[in-house]
Amino acid sequence: MIYVDNITKEFKKTIKQPGLLGSFKSLFNPKTEKIKAVDGISFHVPKGEILGFIGPNGAGKSTVIKMLTGILTPSSGTCSIDGRIPQKDRKNYVREIGVVFGQRTQLWWDLPLTETYAVLKEIYEVEDSAYKRKMELLNEVLDLQDFIKSPVRTLSLGQRMRADIAASLLHSPKVLFLDEPTIGLDVVVKDNIRRAIAQINAEEKTTVILTTHDLSDIELLADRIVMIDKGRNVFDGTVGELKQNYGQMRELNFELQRAEDKALLDYGKHFGLGEDDLKVISDGVNVTVRFNSELVPVGDMLSYTLSQVHLSDISVKDADIEEIIRRLYKKEVRIDA
Amino acid sequence: MRRFFRTYLPFSRAGVQMMLAYRSDFLFHLIGEMLMCIVMYFVWFAVFESSNGSTFMGFSMTDMTVYLFISFVTSYLTYSDGAIALGEEIRDGSIVMRMIKPVSFDMTFLFQELGGRCIEVIIALVPMCVCVEAYKFCVTGSVMFNPVCFLLFLLSTVLAYLVSFYFNVCYGFTAFFLKNLWGSNVLKDAIISFLSGSRIPLAFMPPLLQGLLTFLPFASLSYIPVMIYMGMYDGMTIFKSMLLQAFWLLAFWALSKLIWRLAMKRLCVQGG
Amino acid sequence: MLKEIKRLLKMHRIFIAQDLKKLMEYKVDFLTGMLGFIVYQTINLIFLWVIFSNIPALKGWTYEQIIFIYGFSLLPKGIDHLFFDQLWNVGYSYISRGDFDKYLTRPLNPLFTVIVERFQVDALGELIVGVALMASTVGSVSIQWSVLNVILFLLIVPFATLIYTGIKIITTAVAFWTKRSGQITHVFYLVNDFAKYPTTIYNDVIRNVITYIIPFAFTAFYPASYFLTGENPLFNLGGTVVAAAVLMTVGVLLWNKGMSVYESAGS
Repeated sequence: MIYVDNITKEFKKTIKQPGLLGSFKSLFNPKTEKIKAVDGISFHVPKGEILGFIGPNGAGKSTVIKMLTGILTPSSGTCSIDGRIPQKDRKNYVREIGVVFGQRTQLWWDLPLTETYAVLKEIYEVEDSAYKRKMELLNEVLDLQDFIKSPVRTLSLGQRMRADIAASLLHSPKVLFLDEPTIGLDVVVKDNIRRAIAQINAEEKTTVILTTHDLSDIELLADRIVMIDKGRNVFDGTVGELKQNYGQMRELNFELQRAEDKALLDYGKHFGLGEDDLKVISDGVNVTVRFNSELVPVGDMLSYTLSQVHLSDISVKDADIEEIIRRLYKKEVRIDA
Repeated sequence: MRRFFRTYLPFSRAGVQMMLAYRSDFLFHLIGEMLMCIVMYFVWFAVFESSNGSTFMGFSMTDMTVYLFISFVTSYLTYSDGAIALGEEIRDGSIVMRMIKPVSFDMTFLFQELGGRCIEVIIALVPMCVCVEAYKFCVTGSVMFNPVCFLLFLLSTVLAYLVSFYFNVCYGFTAFFLKNLWGSNVLKDAIISFLSGSRIPLAFMPPLLQGLLTFLPFASLSYIPVMIYMGMYDGMTIFKSMLLQAFWLLAFWALSKLIWRLAMKRLCVQGG
Repeated sequence: MLKEIKRLLKMHRIFIAQDLKKLMEYKVDFLTGMLGFIVYQTINLIFLWVIFSNIPALKGWTYEQIIFIYGFSLLPKGIDHLFFDQLWNVGYSYISRGDFDKYLTRPLNPLFTVIVERFQVDALGELIVGVALMASTVGSVSIQWSVLNVILFLLIVPFATLIYTGIKIITTAVAFWTKRSGQITHVFYLVNDFAKYPTTIYNDVIRNVITYIIPFAFTAFYPASYFLTGENPLFNLGGTVVAAAVLMTVGVLLWNKGMSVYESAGS
């Protein structure tokens, strides 16, 4: 369905010099540098899949999404949806896609929602009957009826987001791009929106590409994850695979009875673990040990600890997806991909 | 007093930096406004060529040229667009960011704008005055620059700017009623350009109208400083004119405070 | 092709209808805006009136003729302002803030959508004054309103309008490279002030600039002088058509080139 093949994007950036003097300097001698925002990313999304597209801030997510939606032209490489290339056949290409940018709205600010939908119907040339059916479905899935007659500027953020998602689905796109669709929303609205996305995906077989910083979105919705950082792929696989590959790091948290007992513990020497597989953080009586559970079973870790020192509290934490991704972002886990 | 400047000077510095950041906007805007001035120069030139005498209602072509360019630069310097910013902030609610800081809202706008004005004085006023004096020298063959007049002109221009600022603050409050300040801004600027004499010298108006317009606050915005610059006023008239400027400054300042107080009440009511 | 044009015109009507609905929401704003343009033009007229109360003619042009030229200049300006006003926002903010994205995700020509998206009713102020001024000169200027001239008049005004639009498109497209170009559009747009008066009052440099480089003289003085004097139709009217065609072609080409280097905003 969607093929992304080794795309890159370079930007030119003016360097701003700080301070009053700097402003004067750049007045006469502006400096520019080339920045590779996306540096050879490839992935493939089959029809009907929900893909979670994640990465830390500044990783190049938005740039990739913008290239996929035909807004930006890649510096090199290609992307195509259903065989169409956005830069060659933009108009027909964008007919097949729906786009929601969480931080922006495509609704007509001063007019009631119905007016926006009426205009979009014309822009995408949706047949009357199809439009009617679609509106009924969207109404049911996204609960629009309460505010469909109000001017967009009076809508709450949650209502606006639902309205925007509906706007992007009016023309039954084959692919739906959602860039941060749950940003700034409360849990109830988030839940509502997630259910709507899942339902649309199930009923219409719409392929969804979802970028988000809320990893519950990913866990609840995504069939697969593509993670990028610094403009490169760092992971491509299912949520399960992610846990399997990087979930071997466990965390042991305990509280010592006496802080000076810390000296009695030397995990590195005892188990022969290197820096990549072990990290010990201590703060007074509280100690956190992160370790690779494939090299040292949790039981061994526990019994060694208990044999050396007296504890007042202890817990073992499993790696949840949030934890794994946090570590991936912070480079605590080595990436072999 | 030192405390006062220590609080507000950073706003001026921000104003300067904003100006430099948007330097091309500023330069292009200045060029754009200059174009209008050049058109008027040619129109007047044609008028003088088409009329019989060498003067037109008491103005020679040299007077007219000086009037055009000095009046242009004065109107440019005394134009205050803080009103637009204020209106925008009222509309989108970001005015509260100013209200939660322990500073007075009009001073923050004033100092921010003053920073930009300093740059404009260097880039627009100084070269313009040099050009005008050079032009006068070429035409008359003698140096006619009068430093006393010039200093009085500067003082009067500062007063004019302050009148303009507080007038525009009052105007900015219309944002409570109007959504689109842009349209009414065109209206306001058009009216001011006429009433202030920057479009047609007030001296060309019928006597009754001229008397009225000279007293109205708009003449304080550019006509008075320009007349002082040109040496058209004697000492007594200069004194009276500046007194008038000071009077209007006080009047608009008081009015802006009054509206602000009322507006605050209204804001509180709206906030529930 | 024909189907495409029909569709675009239909979209245009829909956008206009949207803006009229918006208007009903902000009646006061609309009235002040329109009044603003009327007052602005009226003040310019007072200026002309003051001048002409002291001289019989300006470089051989009578008061009525100048008024006719002035009124003529407001028609293309007003029409461009009425229908094609959104371009300003593109140069001032849409491109730099990335708001231009939305035009690219729709199956419509972005340039077309941008141009027609806004119906700026404020412009009626200019149009009303323009028409009123031209009407006021009927009888006092010697124009042969023959059928041919009426047809020529109706044909030339749209071309004069396209000179405005073309210049706006070209200067707005610069923003694809520089991020913001509203200020450049502003400067070029203001050159239209020169067009309201006979070009004979300017020196050679300015006359050549407003004839051949930023050809605003063809939006008012040249075509108007044809109707006033009947002279030089080939240059006075033909020049308008050529200028409009050249500017629009350059504008569209530059715009399309610019869209391929559009960088959006954010990361």
